[in-house]
Amino acid sequence: MVDKNMRILVIDDAQTMRRIVINLLRQLGFTNMQEADDGTTAWERLGQEPYDLIISDWNMPKMTGIDLLRKVRADDKYKATPFIMVTAEGKRENVIAAVQAGVSNYIVKPFNAATLKEKMVKVIGDF
Amino acid sequence: MTERLRLSERIAMLEASQKGDMVPASEVWQLVDAIKEVFGEKVDGVHGQTSQLYHELGELAKFINSAKKELQEVKESNIADEHLPNANNHLDAIVKMTEQATSKIMDECDRLGMFHADLRERLLASEPPIDPNVMAGVDDAMTQAETSITHIFEACNFQDITVQRIQKVVKALQEIERQVLRMVVVFGLVENEGKLDEATKAELSEDAALLQGPQLAGQGLEQDDIDAILAKLL
Repeated sequence: MVDKNMRILVIDDAQTMRRIVINLLRQLGFTNMQEADDGTTAWERLGQEPYDLIISDWNMPKMTGIDLLRKVRADDKYKATPFIMVTAEGKRENVIAAVQAGVSNYIVKPFNAATLKEKMVKVIGDF
Repeated sequence: MTERLRLSERIAMLEASQKGDMVPASEVWQLVDAIKEVFGEKVDGVHGQTSQLYHELGELAKFINSAKKELQEVKESNIADEHLPNANNHLDAIVKMTEQATSKIMDECDRLGMFHADLRERLLASEPPIDPNVMAGVDDAMTQAETSITHIFEACNFQDITVQRIQKVVKALQEIERQVLRMVVVFGLVENEGKLDEATKAELSEDAALLQGPQLAGQGLEQDDIDAILAKLL
């Protein structure tokens, strides 16, 4: 069974979106969420403490979600961390690129709590 | 009137004559006439083509002059200097306003959630205790209210999507503005040249990756399509 106190890192340059995702996670019963506003900040946070799940936007300044994903997957310390991409980009080539980079699942905006839960269950197990 | 020989026949005659036979002067003149006639036609053709070319160039010149006048009007109407930057400012204002409004909506949702929790605690602590059936009804109502709050949060997705679309429009407007300014400069309104700074170009290039806004309805893949791809790939 999934630990609802698992550490989740939510990454999006839009504060509104971070808040929406965090609120939806809270509604799903999760309690331990941290946030970062771009891939660079997220990478720094990953270096400071371990996370059990990463939920990241794709289009961000400084370091995009796909770049962060590649960096995460290339590092032995984090490469096993589940990584869900949440993005407005629903292009086939983007999905394929994300899969090739090692994404765990992919959510297209706008989305709801049910979709978020469904993808999380596939990645971290039922809750 | 003597029957005119075809050019090929006359050339054949000339070639034959060069093999030794003398060619009568009249035939030479016939040949010259024929060549002149042919080349004359070609010259006329070239002339025709040249005329057409001049005509096209004239049309192009008219178009350029017309465009120049229109660009002058563009300059005078301050489209590049004022209207397009203003449009960008308005769009930026929309982004900020929707962000503030969305933030306010979410703040109030959070407060509603806290009120519900507080209300529940008060009801549970009330003396004499509330009838459990009544409390169950209250809990049901609160659960529904929480669900509605979640739906409000979900609906706030619109803000991020809106911002990304507006950013796309802003970039397009900036590009139009840059191109208009460039054309104004090309047509001699040099005072605008300073506005085409490299920093703007660099900024536009840097933001190129962010140009890809959210997909429009019918464009890109829906979640179900993506799930189908993921099912094959993951």
